[in-house]
Amino acid sequence: MVIDFNTLYNFPSRLDRVFEEMLRSPMGDDRRLAYPPLNLSNDEENIYVRAEVPGVTIEDVELTLTDKTLVIKGERTAPQGKFYRQERPSGVFHRVVNIGVPVDRDKVTAAMKDGVLTVTLPKSEEIKPRTISIDVA
Amino acid sequence: MSEVAKKEAVKELSRFRPATDILEREDGFHIFMDMPGVSREDMAIDLEEDELTVTGRSDQCPLPGEKFVEAQFGACEYVRSISISDIVDRERIKASLENGVLELFLPKVEKVQPKRITIQAQ
Repeated sequence: MVIDFNTLYNFPSRLDRVFEEMLRSPMGDDRRLAYPPLNLSNDEENIYVRAEVPGVTIEDVELTLTDKTLVIKGERTAPQGKFYRQERPSGVFHRVVNIGVPVDRDKVTAAMKDGVLTVTLPKSEEIKPRTISIDVA
Repeated sequence: MSEVAKKEAVKELSRFRPATDILEREDGFHIFMDMPGVSREDMAIDLEEDELTVTGRSDQCPLPGEKFVEAQFGACEYVRSISISDIVDRERIKASLENGVLELFLPKVEKVQPKRITIQAQ
């Protein structure tokens, strides 16, 4: 923003902003981790892979499933205009997730909500825990 | 004893400053903030004098029985303040949220047309 001298007279609020700037920035964390950040979880029925991809629609994401890996690929475009500050990452992103257990490939679904992609991979029937009844003669 | 229990119940979320793009176009200033996982009901935008503050909470409630193997993001609170100058028309600021990206439009004040002063002849 254009700096003008009116802001100099709001010194108390200016001081509050100095402390607020110390809040952690996702940009800092992203330097160590690949982009986008992923969550990998599971329950008895499914494996869940979630990715934080704000600004991306479900049509822009390309999901590829091989025998043991799930590939999440897409692209974020930067807005047009004269930049004063640019912190949001843009460009092609690509992440490979190792799926350690067999999944039912035909029933994999994906959903996008508020910029968070959720891929649900149902586990194969042969690895689900089953109750075996034993007849005692 | 009850006070300790209350303090534990109110668990503070991690605070983050959202990644922000600020750019200028012919019609004014455009601000884009990455707020993944935040819905419109969990977001607040406040304008106080020269300070525009955006706050949003992302909720990542795990399903019952769900166990995490790897967690690289989670529930957090986004807070960001931006100073705006006098050339911004405060009455016409617009905000929209789509696919986890908040877009703010800060139009410029309409320029007052210069007036020609006629000189009276004696």
